[in-house]
Order: sequence, then structure tokens, then C-alpha cells
Amino acid sequence: MLLSELNVGDKAEITAVRARNSVRRRMLDMGLVAGTRFKVLRVAPLGDPVEIFFKGMYLSLRKSEAAEIEVEKVGHVGDGAPLGRQEKRRRRFGGAG
Amino acid sequence: MTSRKDITVALAGNPNSGKSSLFNALTGSHQKVGNFSGVTIEKYEGYADYNGYRIRFVDLPGTYSLTAYSPEELVTRQYLAQDTPDMVINVVEGPNLERNLLLTTQLMEMEVDLLVALNMYDEVEEQGIDIQVKQLQTLLGCHIVPTSATKKTGIDALLDHVVRVYEGDIEIRKNKLSFRNEIEEAVEAIAAELAGEPELKTYSSRWLAIKLLENDREVYSLVNRFPVWVKIELMLQEAIRITEKMYDADPEILITEDRQAFIRGAMEECVRQPDVKRVSLTDRIDSIVLNRVLGLPIFFFVVWLIFHMTFTLGTPLMDALDGFFSWFAAAVEPLLPNDIVRSIVVDGIIAGVGGVLIFLPNIILLFLGLSFLEASGYMARAAFVVDKVMHRFGLHGKSFIPMITGFGCSIPAIMATRTLKSPSDRLATILIIPFMSCGAKLPVYVLLAGAFFAPAVAANVMFGIYMLGVVLGLLTALLLKSTMLNRESEPFVMELPPYRWPSLSSVFLQARTKAWMYLKKAGTVILAAVMIIWVVSNYPRNPELEASLDREVARIGQQVTDPAEQAAAIHAAENRIAAAQLEYSIAGRMGKFIEPVIEPIGFDWRIGVALVTGLAAKEVVVSTMGTIYSLGEVDEESVELKSILKRDPSFDRATALSLMVFVLLYIPCVAAIGVMRKELGRWKPVVFYSVYAVTVAWIASFITWNAARVMM
Repeated sequence: MLLSELNVGDKAEITAVRARNSVRRRMLDMGLVAGTRFKVLRVAPLGDPVEIFFKGMYLSLRKSEAAEIEVEKVGHVGDGAPLGRQEKRRRRFGGAG
Repeated sequence: MTSRKDITVALAGNPNSGKSSLFNALTGSHQKVGNFSGVTIEKYEGYADYNGYRIRFVDLPGTYSLTAYSPEELVTRQYLAQDTPDMVINVVEGPNLERNLLLTTQLMEMEVDLLVALNMYDEVEEQGIDIQVKQLQTLLGCHIVPTSATKKTGIDALLDHVVRVYEGDIEIRKNKLSFRNEIEEAVEAIAAELAGEPELKTYSSRWLAIKLLENDREVYSLVNRFPVWVKIELMLQEAIRITEKMYDADPEILITEDRQAFIRGAMEECVRQPDVKRVSLTDRIDSIVLNRVLGLPIFFFVVWLIFHMTFTLGTPLMDALDGFFSWFAAAVEPLLPNDIVRSIVVDGIIAGVGGVLIFLPNIILLFLGLSFLEASGYMARAAFVVDKVMHRFGLHGKSFIPMITGFGCSIPAIMATRTLKSPSDRLATILIIPFMSCGAKLPVYVLLAGAFFAPAVAANVMFGIYMLGVVLGLLTALLLKSTMLNRESEPFVMELPPYRWPSLSSVFLQARTKAWMYLKKAGTVILAAVMIIWVVSNYPRNPELEASLDREVARIGQQVTDPAEQAAAIHAAENRIAAAQLEYSIAGRMGKFIEPVIEPIGFDWRIGVALVTGLAAKEVVVSTMGTIYSLGEVDEESVELKSILKRDPSFDRATALSLMVFVLLYIPCVAAIGVMRKELGRWKPVVFYSVYAVTVAWIASFITWNAARVMM
């Protein structure tokens, strides 16, 4: 599935980066490579871009860019999957959770 | 250069790694700011004296990687390869070591003499992270010094290491990051070919080989002029063929994956994270600041705050400076005997310098605010919040703040576009900023809307003018991005850095740098242009007019006895003569010359003159009109421009609307043009913009004037 198809709170692992040229270069430089596990943190107030968290980094990317990253869902926050060290609570759109 | 005891050290590191704070801690007040050649990237240099050595530091721009992705990365690479510093200190963020090490691995590949500053070590200890420094040193093949720029610890140890590594007192075996077999074989084979090329000696041949496999266009154009390229190209194709077959991926991806694998291995071996999971401060702040409901209101509040700080606080300072220069001019005036010299000094030089300097309070205040936002971490979030709207017009989220600043003044706004990384995003943003109606245009609207519309309607008219600017600006961006600038814009793959309390000294340094840059570069261009406009609107002189003024004054002296009336009459006479002189000047002739062109939009030559002098500054449109419309005024009781315009048969609502639209859209003041030229580095886009702006202004005014005449 694609990163853009995940929901807020999902944890996933990158399987392939399909972007091209400078977008891909940028993704690789920021650590978005196959094997990277991340969590979807939130969606911007207007519905785009999205924010993900991995290796201590908060990263934003547009949905169009997220659609070029293939991922495999590995869980949802709260199910105990070992990922990162700074997430505990499940965050929903409102952020109140 | 003077002695053997000079050591040059470059600082490299990720953005937000605390690199600049460390630079400040290392160099104290011994700093200077310049630019890297050919690009608008600031280059901070400084030095520290330690044990009889003068250690010179160059703060390279913050980068995540050393590919050819951004100008910052290219500058860093170029500096390392061509200026060959004695040593590179790689500043890494201790608490987030893993992602910082990507740059480290690439510095290792460049085979520079490397020293790692494990920065924010206080936070590492505080969070209970355990880093085996010795082991990590062996893996990375370089010395590691724990530092904390904010707590000022480890600074001397770092300087000590620089000296000892430089002198060869302490040594460590450089390590090499090996890639998977298929890649490693290709790297070694290509490097062997490149090693034989004497002209490439300054580069590590292994690094060049890696970059070629990474499909790096810069290295490609560096290497492909050599005869050895023919052979290398075949080797590259072969490498791609093999990896595609084996891994269904090209070498570029595999190389990055291998670096990441190396880093993961190093992390597993050397770093223990505590088990305690905690919600970081950043998480807590973001759950409010980026909240779906509160995110936008907070964003607008921050923008509003910055805007008010810049202009509400800045305007009194601006007025004070303005007052100072008027006072200074008045004080100097009687000291100069010769009419021409006096006019040059008072109206030309003092007014010109004053016209440049009065923007300083705004620039300093805005950049204090923006540097604070940038350093605290909010800037990236502002872009995150607003990107969707901006992207619709082909712009980047980061374009928003410069754009909004344009409502205050185009000059700091244009300078603020430096946060945009992609040249095409930056160009598009700079070119639409003047469409955001700046504060200097307001007096024009107040005058015209006030004269021709009832107060309630006048406010709506003014709002309409502002909105017209925004709409045309955004449409211009869309047009630019879908035609001329149809290149890749900056991806939004962007870090939202953890919130930090910015160090005030670096915030002030930023603001000071911007102010100085404005004065130094733009100041000269602007000053020259203001002087030219002054000459144009004052020369040639008509001696007959001066003589007639003398006669008139003498006549009034005889006929009018009441001193107040006398003064008023003389003042009116002076105004009439000034107007006649303005008509006689080059500006007046230019106004008449362009009259046929501006007639279809409802203007006569007098407005033409005001538009020409308005290039100096938009407020000048009003003062010029004040002068020129008193021409032929007989009624000396009412010299207020508003009533003069209302009485003037050639000036009606349609003209007023058309003029407001034209002033909104046509070329901004020379100061803005000067800064635009400075920031873009060449004239071509500035000339294009000027032609475009005048054309758009003319068309919009033509439509406005004709529509208004039909409807009103």
C-alpha cells in the first residue's frame, strides 16, 4: 500500500521509494529508505500535507509525495510494536487523544 | 596565511544540529559575514586563538546530505573540495544521532580530515542515552568530542583536539564505509580509472566514483570531459544493469540504503536508548499548534503578531528617522550659500540617504521576528499549515510569510524569501511580492478614495484594491509556474525541527546581518537611483520662473499687508512656480511624452509626472500631485489637494479608481527594484518583471477606467 493511504496513528515500514529525480533524492537524504519504520502523526489543518515521525525526526510531506512511497502497515499505536521512543498516546485528527 | 600556526576548520552539520550556536561559542565576537561566491548563501567566518594557534572557522550551511540537491549542499561540497580546509568538524545532534550520521558517512566518503562534535551532550545525558564514544570513534574513523554549545561545555576540548589532530599528536585510522559487493566492485573499478586523471587530484577518486553511481549531475559534468569517461560510462551502465537485475533498484538507492545500514549497525553497537517512553515537549506543543481546529487561527495570530511588530513598532521609528533627516536638512540648508549645491546636498543627498535609511527599522524588526520563528522551529510549521493553499498556486508553504510581509514593505519581504530553497519558488515569490500593496501606497489610496468616495465606500474601495493585488499576484504565480518556471519546485519533504528556545545572540546576529547587507549592497543602487530621480524632477531649471517668483513675492509684499495673509499668498505663489518648474523639468517632459500612452487609462501628463517621480517612493506620488495640481490654481483659499482634485474637471471617480489600480500594480519604488536585483543576482528577471508589471497595470487600469465610466 502507499504512504498516502495510511491513517493518522498508523505505523508502517517503507518497502520502496518510487519517486523520481530531486523528490527521490530528497526522500533518501531525509532517511526515507526501504526498512525505515515510521508513524503517521497528523494531517495539516487544511488536509495536506501530512506529518510522520521516525528516528527522532518530525517530517512533513505532501500527499502527492506520500503517494510515491510504498509501505507495509506494521501496526497501530498502542499495539506495542517497538518503534521509536517518543510515542505513547494515540493521536487523532483533533490531537486531543 | 601569515604563520604556520593558522588552522582552517569548516563546520558542517544538519540544520538544527546546533551548529551555529557552536560556531558562536567557538568564535565569540570574532565574526564576519559574507557570501559564498555566486550564491546568496551567507558565509559566516570567525576565529579563536588557542595555545598560540589561530583557528579560523567557516560555518558551512546546514545540510542533511552532500548530494547535488540544493545550493547549500553544492556550496558545502565545493568548499570542501576546492578550498580544502585543514579539518572539518561535523556537528551532530547527540540526542538524534542516527539521522545526523548520514552526513557523517558522506563526509567520510569525501576523505576529509574529520572531527565529530557530539553536540547537545547535556541533553544526551539528561535523557539517559548511553553513547559508547570510543567504539563509535573506531567505527567512524575519527575523533569525537562531546560538546554543548548552549551550556558552553566541551569547547576547549574541541579546540584542543583541533590543534592536536592538526599537529598529528593524536591519530586515528580512517575507516571506510563498504557497500554491498556489486556496488563496492563498481566503486573500486571506477575509482581506479579516475585516479589516473591528474586534473581530478583535488577530489577523492572513491568519492567521485560513488557520486557517479549516485547519478550526481555535478560530478557527471565534472568528469565527462575527460577521455577516461568513455570507459567509465560503460562501467556505470554495467553496474546499473547488475543492480536492476539483482535488487530491482538502481545504485543510487542501494548506496543510500547501505549507508543507512552502516548507521543502523553503528547505532546498535554504540548507543543504548532508555526504555522510558516520554512525550516530548515538541509533541505537546504541536498537539496544540498544529491542531486541526486551532492550527490555522494560531498561524494567523503569529503572522499578525510579526506584522504588527514590524510595522506598528517600526513606523514611529521610521517617522523619527524621517523627522531627523528633515531636521538635519533644515539645519544644513542655511550653511550652504550656493543654490545648486544646496539643492544637491539637501534635496538630493540627504533626502536620498534618508530615503534608504528609513527602511532600516522595518528590516531589523522583521528579521528579529523571522529569525526567532526560524530558530524556534515554528517557521517550518507555518509552512506546513498553509502549504495546501500556496501549492494550489504553484508556490511553497514557505512563500506565505514573505508574501504577507509585502503588505508592509516589499524590501524586507523580498529579503525574507531566502528561506526558500528552490530558485524557481524563490523567483516566483519575489516577483509577486510587489503586488501585495505596501504601506507606502496607502497615502495614495487614502487621498483618492477619500476625495471621491463617501467614507464607508472608501474603505470598501481600498479593501478591493488590496484584494485585487492579492488575486493578480497569485494568478501571476500560477502563470509563472505553469509557463516559464515550469521546473521542479522544492519538494515538501521537510523536517519540522524540534522546538527550541532560540539563542538571542544568534537572532540578533541574523537581524544585524540583514540590515548590514541592505545598507551595503542595496544602499548604493538605491541611492544612485533616488539621485537620478531627483535630477530628473529638478532639471533643467527655468531661470524665467525664478525671476517671476521674485516679482510675484515683491508684488505681494506691496499689496498685502496682513502678515498671515502675506505668508499664505507667498506660499501659494511658490507652489505655482514649483509646479511650473516641475512641468519644465525632465520629469514634466516625460509626463507629457507618455501622455498618449496613459490617455486611454484616463490619465493626463500631470499624473504621468507623478508616476515618474513615484518611482523614488510611492508616497512621492501624492506630494508630486500636490505640487503639480496647484498649477494654474487661482483660488488661493483652498490649496488642499483633495479639494483641488475634486474641482478638477479632468479628474473624476473613474480616474481615481484607475490611478489607484495603476499605483497598486506598476513598478515599485527603486529601493525595491534595487533589492530585487540584489537578491536575484541578475537584471533579466527584474527587467522582465518591470515590463510585466507595467503591462498588467495598464490593462487593469484600462478595464477599470472604462468600466467605471460606463457604470458611474
